[in-house]
Amino acid sequence: MKKADSSLLSTIKKYNRPLASLKLAVFIILSIAVITAVGTFVEAKYDAYAARKLVYDTWFMYTIMGLLVINLLAVMLDRFPWRKRHAAFVLAHIGIIILLAGAYLTMEFGLDGSMRVGIGETNNFVQTSETDLVVYTSFDGDRYSKTLEQEVDFFRNPPSEKKPYVIPAYEGEIRIVDYKKYVIPSKKVLPGDDGKNGAGLRFQLQNPNVNVIEWLVQKKPNNLTSHNFGPAQIHLGPAPEKPRGANEIFLTPEKDGLRYVVFQKDSEKPLKKGFVKEGDVFDPGFKMALSFRVLRYLPTAKEDWDIQTLERPTPMTTAAIKIIFDGKENWVLLNDMVKLFTTNSVYLLTYGNRRIDIGFPLKLNKFQVSHYQGTMRAMAYESLVQVPDLGEHVISMNEPLKYKGLTIYQASFQEDNGQPVASVFSVNHDPGRFLKYLGSLIISLGTILLMWFKHLDFKIARKSQKNDDGVNS
Amino acid sequence: MKNILIVAMALFMAVPAFAKDGDALKYLPVQDGGRIKPYDSFSREMLEIVYGKTKYEGRAATEIVMTWMLSPQAWQDKKIFEVRNHQVLTSMNLPKDQRYFSGEELFAGDRFNLLRQELQAKRDTKEKLNPYFQALQRLENQYFVFQEIAAGRMLKIVPPKEGDAWISVADMDATMQEKFMDFTKAFVNHIGAVAAASDTSATGKELDAKVAAFEEAAKANNPALYDHATKIKAEVHYNNFHPFRWAYIFYFLAFTVLLLVWTLKKESLMKIAWVFLGLGFVLNTYGFVLRMYIMDRAPVTNMYETVVWVAWGTVLFAAILEIIYKFRLILVAGTLVGTFGLVIADFAPAVLDPTLQPLEPVLRSNYWLTIHVMTITISYAAFFLAFGLADIGLIYYLRGEEKFQKEIRAIVSGIYRSMQIGVAFLAPGIILGGIWADYSWGRFWGWDPKETWALIALLGYLAVLHARYAGFIKNFGMVVTAVITFSLVIMAWYGVNFVLGAGLHSYGFGAGGVEYVSAFVAAHILLVIYVGIVRRGKQTTQTTN
Repeated sequence: MKKADSSLLSTIKKYNRPLASLKLAVFIILSIAVITAVGTFVEAKYDAYAARKLVYDTWFMYTIMGLLVINLLAVMLDRFPWRKRHAAFVLAHIGIIILLAGAYLTMEFGLDGSMRVGIGETNNFVQTSETDLVVYTSFDGDRYSKTLEQEVDFFRNPPSEKKPYVIPAYEGEIRIVDYKKYVIPSKKVLPGDDGKNGAGLRFQLQNPNVNVIEWLVQKKPNNLTSHNFGPAQIHLGPAPEKPRGANEIFLTPEKDGLRYVVFQKDSEKPLKKGFVKEGDVFDPGFKMALSFRVLRYLPTAKEDWDIQTLERPTPMTTAAIKIIFDGKENWVLLNDMVKLFTTNSVYLLTYGNRRIDIGFPLKLNKFQVSHYQGTMRAMAYESLVQVPDLGEHVISMNEPLKYKGLTIYQASFQEDNGQPVASVFSVNHDPGRFLKYLGSLIISLGTILLMWFKHLDFKIARKSQKNDDGVNS
Repeated sequence: MKNILIVAMALFMAVPAFAKDGDALKYLPVQDGGRIKPYDSFSREMLEIVYGKTKYEGRAATEIVMTWMLSPQAWQDKKIFEVRNHQVLTSMNLPKDQRYFSGEELFAGDRFNLLRQELQAKRDTKEKLNPYFQALQRLENQYFVFQEIAAGRMLKIVPPKEGDAWISVADMDATMQEKFMDFTKAFVNHIGAVAAASDTSATGKELDAKVAAFEEAAKANNPALYDHATKIKAEVHYNNFHPFRWAYIFYFLAFTVLLLVWTLKKESLMKIAWVFLGLGFVLNTYGFVLRMYIMDRAPVTNMYETVVWVAWGTVLFAAILEIIYKFRLILVAGTLVGTFGLVIADFAPAVLDPTLQPLEPVLRSNYWLTIHVMTITISYAAFFLAFGLADIGLIYYLRGEEKFQKEIRAIVSGIYRSMQIGVAFLAPGIILGGIWADYSWGRFWGWDPKETWALIALLGYLAVLHARYAGFIKNFGMVVTAVITFSLVIMAWYGVNFVLGAGLHSYGFGAGGVEYVSAFVAAHILLVIYVGIVRRGKQTTQTTN
């Protein structure tokens, strides 16, 4: 090494020293420990999403991680030029930097989402945790065009009456005035006054064994909306000319009542026809002796949510925003949409998790749960999926599918009445994976090597002993 | 591994088939909890659920549980239901100074049904259950278990012709009913003879013959499903022999001898200490191998198993360090901690469930899981050893820092080495966990509380080691931090599952014992503060002198 170089190095080292200090290192280590400990308590009280938003994914966490990297780089520079005895130290510290670099790549360019595919269905959208507001506008009620798409983080920056989130529209503006993190929604139906809404019907189906009370609300006039309760289907909307080979009741809205047609399975002709008003009861004539009661009939109806706010999340809760448009209030649930009318235009507002097209369809051909013998306790579950080029493939716990840069893992499944109806996959793309593995390997090597440098402690022990002796004498 | 297995097999095969007459019942295969287990395990577990212990008034679970089914009405006014939660006792209008209640007292009125509805409402909204509701849930379970056993629906002892759900006593066909009646008659005779303290060999033999006849008939139903003899033998042997109990007895003996070696300087006893320690260690290992053989998996998937594993690891590390440094003290600490761990595991079955349970789906079929859990928990063993050493160190500081300089230095070296070993296992263990998580659900790191607390524990020890390196922490500081930092391990190991109860590692969740663990941690922190103050006082008097 030349003289000039070494003097330059020593100058750099001089200014570098405070950054490489062990005091700073201990401070950083303890800070990370404290911050992440708080994070785990937040997660226990709320959920993983809240912990991420409030602790792990924040400026102070990034700052401390940044400081860590600076400190690590500085301490390596401080020991430069490295010698053989530095090997363990250098490996352990470089490993951490590489690992963090990998984590950064994942954070910046990675994809981490979930995908629900019903059995026999196909999906090509991954849902991520980012939330977007999207507004579609239509002037004729038929053709919509997207007029706004914006990422929002109401969890961290909730709108309020005083500081609403304003979306300009052609006529007036949509104001988001409230955000609730954890609500349990229940549907309510109100008379819709503007004539652009469909009809609403609350009915009761009853016999000694069955008691079903449900709302049916048409999205638009003349739309068909249905309730399937197993042995029969109830439809609100126009009846078809011919029976479709099932037990069905069609109720067609008219101004002050409903015209009904009943079809029976294996029968060419309608079983029964008639007209009912609110409060009327009729017997559809099925073999199972049901009575059909019209509890409420609204020629124009709109749906809204009754919101019950909770302190903490449960698997039943979701998030909701409150919007004001044209002087009227509306709650919109996460991943739900609302239609807003003026005399000249219609706005369709959706608030939901971002959906990303993975570029190929994933079809779920079969889903299987196996149980521990003689119990309902799940032992394992697996999905038989189909993707282009590859054909059929089994994805099970711990056996993911790697395809087109994505890793598709079996995460969980959804059940309805004890039967699985859909499989839930976690879909990841991790560009930092290689660096993370490399960093991990290097750290592990370094840590294990550190074991052999036992002289360190004994040196210190001797030093401290000398000091102690000095104090005591 | 294969060799150990063979040795272990030979060991319990050498035990005569049935230790005494009337024991055949213990070996009756029962389908329960998703696996086939001996009736011995089944009845122990059931009695444990209802009564909180595996014996009732000195009588074995195998007897008690069978009589629940044979004459439930005789049990109506017996106090066999354990209720510990005060809030539950209050809302049931029961005396709080009582712990055991009869079915009559608990379930006859409307009160129980009302509380049950309350619990159901909580379950419907899927809210997390607090300790009160968990206790209520236990009560409901106790009721369920007793009712189902009494009705003959719980005991499934006949393999089905098709499928894999075994047939319960209540659903058996006429021929099997008959065989069963035979053996219950023999059973009643036998326990009658036992109660009358008369000669039981004849009734015992009779019972064994009837049980064998029943098993033969059951086997005829579906021979393929009725083939568990060796595993069942192993499990009954495991239940009876209780290898972990013998292990801590020997650890404790080793500890006592080591104390003599250390305090009375009787070096000659060292060999005896090593023998006791070795025997304890072999039995500890043997218990593991048995559990592994019975369940076909590494025994590190619940709290009980990790506590036993950590005790094993502590003794191992202590022995290795002892051989290197010959401080004696390290072995004292190691046997102390090993005994402590195994005793805790043995005496708190409500918290540390010792039963053999099948795995959750996510834990199956993966060797990364076993490797990462074993690596992380073995690091806890090293930290536990440091903690045990520090406890001894604190005593020396109380007795006089000057006088025991040599001992203290030995202790600090031991602590430092233990911490290093711990870090050398914990860091790669966490990384292996990351690899498994990446392999298993596609993310290397997700700030899940269990993994985060393992990281926090690692950071805690890294901070200590760095501070030591920089000279911020001297000998006393090492002793103090070895105690304090172990609280982080307790949090990562026990607290995440039993206090936080959050995150993806939910298969390890449990309840109970929080007050004892907190008291343990708090007592140690107070001890550290006390020793700190005493030491300060001594130092100031020294300097003023």
